[in-house]
Amino acid sequence: MPDDELIGLARTGDARAFTELVRRYEDTVYRFSYKICRDSEAASETLQDTFINVYRKLNSFDGKSKFSTWLYTIVTNNCLMKRRKRKSDLMEESLEAYDHPSGEPGSLPRQKPVHTPETPADVVIGRELKSLLEEAMAKLPEEYRVVFTLRDVEGRSTEETASVLGLSVEATKSRLRRARAFLRDQLQPHLKAHPEILS
Amino acid sequence: MKCGDVYLHICDHLDEDINSERCRQIRQHLAGCPHCTEYLKSLKQTITLYRALPPPRIPAGTHRELFKTISTLTTKAAAGTPKRGRKTRKA
Repeated sequence: MPDDELIGLARTGDARAFTELVRRYEDTVYRFSYKICRDSEAASETLQDTFINVYRKLNSFDGKSKFSTWLYTIVTNNCLMKRRKRKSDLMEESLEAYDHPSGEPGSLPRQKPVHTPETPADVVIGRELKSLLEEAMAKLPEEYRVVFTLRDVEGRSTEETASVLGLSVEATKSRLRRARAFLRDQLQPHLKAHPEILS
Repeated sequence: MKCGDVYLHICDHLDEDINSERCRQIRQHLAGCPHCTEYLKSLKQTITLYRALPPPRIPAGTHRELFKTISTLTTKAAAGTPKRGRKTRKA
């Protein structure tokens, strides 16, 4: 049954229809929550909060956007609210440096190595790389993490990503550019040290 | 187009505006600039690596807790709603 029919039934109080909607989207919501919150406990909490919000606000969903877009918006708001209790590793302003290449004309943005294995031969590359990817992502402010995750990992359009965050398309592109540049700079030293990862 | 301009707009090249005039200029620049070509390649690699990360799985306890919450919510709502003619859903 298509989502809009399930939503219609759930609005009339059909518990089975609502449960089916939850079943259909629980993986999407958990996956996205985990990627934004970076923490299993916070992701579980966000999963619960999101579907409680969905249940309470189902009548206000106007159907103009996709149901998944509405879910992403609720997850993002829940994660950002939780974030206010914590301190982000990077201030948003520090990413503005990624708008400009550094050094000589024609040079590329400088790399900021954060992790260079001291004894590469002793390292399991897969585990090391996964940890590096997660460390770099955890350093991105959440507003940038949401943009990168939605656009580049979840494969959503720039317009949908902008809609989730209530940003203009241009502002979304700007955040995406900075996020990509930041993550790229974090990973490059490791990739250069271990080119076999990409082969 | 200079490297700095390419840097600012290279994401358009990665995204959906690949047929725009700006992207045509970027492609032209990339054809003669190994630095920017390498930079674009490394951006693509970064995205590929993040896409390749295995998705997190919902812990069994979290799944159970979620459906318990949903059941409580819907049961409470049904108990608090006056009975009226509802459509029955086909299985």
